[in-house]
Amino acid sequence: MIRNGLLGILALAFLQGAALGQMHGQHASEAACDEPTLRCATKVTPAFGPDGTLWLIWMAGGQVSVASSQDAGHSFSPPVQVTTKRLNLDWGPDARPKIVVDRKGGIALAFSIFRDEAFNGQVLYTRSADGGKSFAELKPITANNESQRFEALALDQDGTVFAAWLDKRNRVPAKEAGRKYEGAGLFFASSRDGGATYAEAGLARDNTCECCRLGLTFAAPGRPAVIFRNIFDGGVRDHAIMTFTDVSTPGEIRHVSNDDWQIDACPHHGPSLTVAPNGIYHVAWYTNGKTRKGLFYAHSRDEGRTFSAPMALGRPDRSPTRPFVLAGPAGTALVWKEFDGEKTSVQMTISRDDGETWSAPKTISSTTDTSDHPWLVSNGRQTYLSWMTKADGYRLTAIEDQP
Amino acid sequence: MKRRLVGLLGLGILIASASALGAAPALKLFERGTWQSVLRGHAGRPTLVHFWGVTCGPCKVELPLLGQFAKDHPGIDVVTISADLVPNLPAATQSMLDKAGLSSTENFIFNDGFVERLRFEIDPGWQGDIPRTVLISRDGTISTIEGSAEMADLEKWSAEQLSTH
Repeated sequence: MIRNGLLGILALAFLQGAALGQMHGQHASEAACDEPTLRCATKVTPAFGPDGTLWLIWMAGGQVSVASSQDAGHSFSPPVQVTTKRLNLDWGPDARPKIVVDRKGGIALAFSIFRDEAFNGQVLYTRSADGGKSFAELKPITANNESQRFEALALDQDGTVFAAWLDKRNRVPAKEAGRKYEGAGLFFASSRDGGATYAEAGLARDNTCECCRLGLTFAAPGRPAVIFRNIFDGGVRDHAIMTFTDVSTPGEIRHVSNDDWQIDACPHHGPSLTVAPNGIYHVAWYTNGKTRKGLFYAHSRDEGRTFSAPMALGRPDRSPTRPFVLAGPAGTALVWKEFDGEKTSVQMTISRDDGETWSAPKTISSTTDTSDHPWLVSNGRQTYLSWMTKADGYRLTAIEDQP
Repeated sequence: MKRRLVGLLGLGILIASASALGAAPALKLFERGTWQSVLRGHAGRPTLVHFWGVTCGPCKVELPLLGQFAKDHPGIDVVTISADLVPNLPAATQSMLDKAGLSSTENFIFNDGFVERLRFEIDPGWQGDIPRTVLISRDGTISTIEGSAEMADLEKWSAEQLSTH
């Protein structure tokens, strides 16, 4: 009897252990599994190389890995692990590893880690000079040791790699002077050697929102453009855009849309920017402001000085999120996610007249569990949706093939 | 004698197991359906539900203020819900709650990777921005404060709730 009781107690102890184990298990996780493989990835970022090779960088199992595909995502090369040990990667909703592939096949990468228990971030970078076979030792993108997160990379025509990120270094002198410091600084650095080394970091703008992804591209040769959630007067976290004069010289701040979202919070929901070959800027963003709420799109025909009236995206009753816009060979495509209470779908609309009119949105993919942000990528001939899902794995879907 | 020893051993295992659970206490798992249970469990009582996360800067500032509010207002049920999905989070979450004086409130942590579905159950219009405070009055009226709450606003709401008791 007592033995039975002991067995019962042991069983109870095991069950409790199992329950605790489940707390850390896959149900609670955004990942399908805990290996460094693509199938277990939570965040996947694509880039096409000049030869049409699709490159993916992903985070899975605490590691960052890269692989390539010669057949539009049907099969992949054996992955190359960029990290040599399991790291506390930045798993925030708007964080993801970044990749650019230059004309010579050089590959520049960047991603963030949490470097301490207070969740202070650090942006690390590396480069491959042998076509992705190996990557250099990871290095911090700046010598400064204050928190950095939400890095972005863009590649210029001449191979210059431009990096921007959010950096809290300026809160230190503010604190010493007894001043309050809101948000984080938008910092940048460029690399003339394909991402092997970066110039000293510069400040583009102080007091921007500290927890949203950036949208970064080259508006013209030598002129990076970045969209970010700024903190305007009165704590209004609306979007701003800045076109650099050159890779060392920040430009003026322009208000993209007066949404009047006054909030002291982390929206965890950053914008998207693409600049078409004809110089038209296309932007998409999320706001919950007094003026408007939801996902919006606008374009600018004067290098980001003024924007068209915001166009609402998605069904308001389906929680539209994570917009991404890309000017591709067949038009400007916009994707976002919607959730109907059970399923998440990716909605797509396309404009063939520089953003003046748009096709009726349609579902181009869906899943029944958690998923990464939808991402668009172009090889110069076709635009693809790149989407990682927990239930169904990684998907690459040609936009133009959609009926 | 031997049997008694075995029994004591078993009891010891149970106590050790229970105390191990107690050491990482009270963080309850927030899953599908939990929001409705929270609403049912506090029905008829003024309840403040605070959504936050360990990686959110404004949350770090607000949490200790909320700890003080909870201490000063025993008549208000305070519930916290960590809505971050960073892996291996329970220890960091508990540590921040302890430092903020919120060890003894009812504390949850998101435990479903399908975070869109969890949020949709709570408020289809909520896209995950934190901090976020939901005030539920005795009659079930829900009002939401997006971003950091002003403690003066919480005081005012609390006074209204307690005066109508």
